Amino acid sequence: MHLKHYLSNKFLSLSLLAIFSSLTALGTYAAWDVQPKLGYKLTPLPKPVPAPGFTLEDMDEENHSLKDFHGKVVLLNFWATWCPPCRREMPSMERLYQKFNGDNFTVIAINQMEDGDHVFAYTGQLEVDPTFTILFDKDSKVSNSYRVNGLPTTYLIDKQGNIRYRAIGGREFDHPEVEKQIMQLMQE
Amino acid sequence: MSDNTHLLKYAIMNKHRINYLSLPALALVLTMFGNITSAANITVQQNEDSGLYSWVAESEGFSIELIQLLPDFVRAIYMAHDFPDAEVDEIAGYCVFGTIIKNTSQQQLDYDVADWYYTDKDGNSHPVKTKTQWLEQWRKAGVTFSWTLLPDKGTFYQGDWQQGFTTIKLPRDSEFSLIYKWSINGMEHTDTFEGLRCAPETLSEQ
Repeated sequence: MHLKHYLSNKFLSLSLLAIFSSLTALGTYAAWDVQPKLGYKLTPLPKPVPAPGFTLEDMDEENHSLKDFHGKVVLLNFWATWCPPCRREMPSMERLYQKFNGDNFTVIAINQMEDGDHVFAYTGQLEVDPTFTILFDKDSKVSNSYRVNGLPTTYLIDKQGNIRYRAIGGREFDHPEVEKQIMQLMQE
Repeated sequence: MSDNTHLLKYAIMNKHRINYLSLPALALVLTMFGNITSAANITVQQNEDSGLYSWVAESEGFSIELIQLLPDFVRAIYMAHDFPDAEVDEIAGYCVFGTIIKNTSQQQLDYDVADWYYTDKDGNSHPVKTKTQWLEQWRKAGVTFSWTLLPDKGTFYQGDWQQGFTTIKLPRDSEFSLIYKWSINGMEHTDTFEGLRCAPETLSEQ
């Protein structure tokens, strides 16, 4: 599926690995990458707010709109490859997606200001390649419309397209408490 | 006195200080004036691999961690995002700290970096340069990248936390104190993070 990126990414992957390896060797990156334990609390919004619409390209330059997912509960995540907690929470998003995909639930991860080559190089290094939708917000217009100040920020959107929960900072999204909240939204 | 002893001294001083300043009567008086000056419980850690220091201050409902970053690391980050050389050099010339802030309360927490300042070893106070100020400068230089820095303002609920860079304009290895503010359910708190130190130019200097 992402074959067209493969060749052009080989050099980029090696470059990225070289940079990360150098920084890790310096110890600086390792120190900054030591993060607090991820929690699982999502904040319910006092009043549901309509999720701003968007249309963005995926890794294969195909457009996806939020309205395409109407009728599904959507975990909408804003992230970037250089953001340590974003990287840490991503495996839990994949596990969650594997568990509930097909049950009126989906995960959309909106990357900030990076390109397909960069993200492909990154996901290629992961133990499990994410299978949920990754979209590209190259000018951060969509994150601005969601008033995202920092990464990662995640919203849980109900089947009617309203934002119901919010989380600033990394989370373990396959925690039973989060799964319970998602199941409740799916049953509404 | 070794660096470690010096840092430990600050940590111990601050740990002791909390016993005095957390007296309920004092808290009540301060509450009446609408702003609580609390005293953080500060812990210091030195990374075994790099020798770089990090500090965590845990206060009433708010935790802040500052992690020393080397100038070369900062340069690498911004060069990777295609910043102009002048902008890379400028931010790498600051003391840049990886910063992690957390709402450790179960209530609404608000903060605004524009209210924070630091004092150098001579006692002079300086405002912390905010993300908004950096972005304004970067926009003029044609940079659109708007992430990596600690967001200026935040409203955190239970479990929320955030990270980003904080920039302090002091020479390498300088010691300073950070005075930071936050509010929980509208009640303002102020604390002083003492015994902080800028990273050296290179690892061998620490």
